[in-house]
Amino acid sequence: MRFPFRALPAASGGELTPRPVVDIALEGLLAAPMECLLDTGALRTRMSAELAPLAGIELDDAPAEEFFVAGLKTAGALARVNLTVTDGTEEFSWDAPVWFCDPWPHPFGLAGLEGFLHHFVVTIRAHDGYLDIEPQP
Amino acid sequence: MPAMTVSGHRYELDRHGVQAVLEGVLPEPIHEHFVVINGRRWPPKQVLALVTGLDRADFTTHQARRALTRLGFPAARAASSREHRMRAVQAAGPSGSAAGEPDGEPQTLVEALRPFIGLWVAVRGDEVLVAAPSPKDVVAWLAQHGQRAQSMFRVPDSDQAITGAAPQ
Repeated sequence: MRFPFRALPAASGGELTPRPVVDIALEGLLAAPMECLLDTGALRTRMSAELAPLAGIELDDAPAEEFFVAGLKTAGALARVNLTVTDGTEEFSWDAPVWFCDPWPHPFGLAGLEGFLHHFVVTIRAHDGYLDIEPQP
Repeated sequence: MPAMTVSGHRYELDRHGVQAVLEGVLPEPIHEHFVVINGRRWPPKQVLALVTGLDRADFTTHQARRALTRLGFPAARAASSREHRMRAVQAAGPSGSAAGEPDGEPQTLVEALRPFIGLWVAVRGDEVLVAAPSPKDVVAWLAQHGQRAQSMFRVPDSDQAITGAAPQ
């Protein structure tokens, strides 16, 4: 599956450098896959806690941890969920641990080793502006 | 203030009045025709129904479009989903984004997103389906209109938000 890097408008004008992102759908929220920045340096896969209730994911008794992201202290709650990626032609789903964080400073999720990279062969072609992911069963 | 007759009723409409009526309303899905008001794409029939109170069955898309273009709002026809996909494939190069055709001019996803800085959006191809203050609003809109997005995210309102730098 191929995902073009995505450019976004810069608040200061012009556009931000296109980033490697993958749109990952949570179970229960297939109509709105969350844009996730590919983060090869991150151990966890993390998203905003706002998404959990929208997907029907219960976090009340979930394991939790505190940590810093982008200089902001936040708390994450762990849930094992089914995730799906698609390029419009192919589709792949897998179960993975996702940390739902509150507060969450980023406008996207972070796709890290656990939860995402362990499940794919990922080829980043930054020069050409896209990445390929090959699911590993 | 331009006066116009729609479905046998006479209305006096102006740009500011139309813009005011749309405050706090989310545009419905664009099927083919749209007008641009307050930086957003709107189905012409939704707008005219809101400002006149008429039932949508009482007028056609072309009547609505003509009424709104008379007030100076730009109108255009959306590219089809297939055209979006073809452009996305063609544009999968270093620039990353694909072209659309608002107002007859090519438009990148970047430019389509620019009016929505700071808002949550759902996009499909180079089209912004909906923009709203929260992901809850976006998801509710998708469910209400039976739409499926390619991606949902918040358009960053600061360059630091996407670079990972510590907030000030």
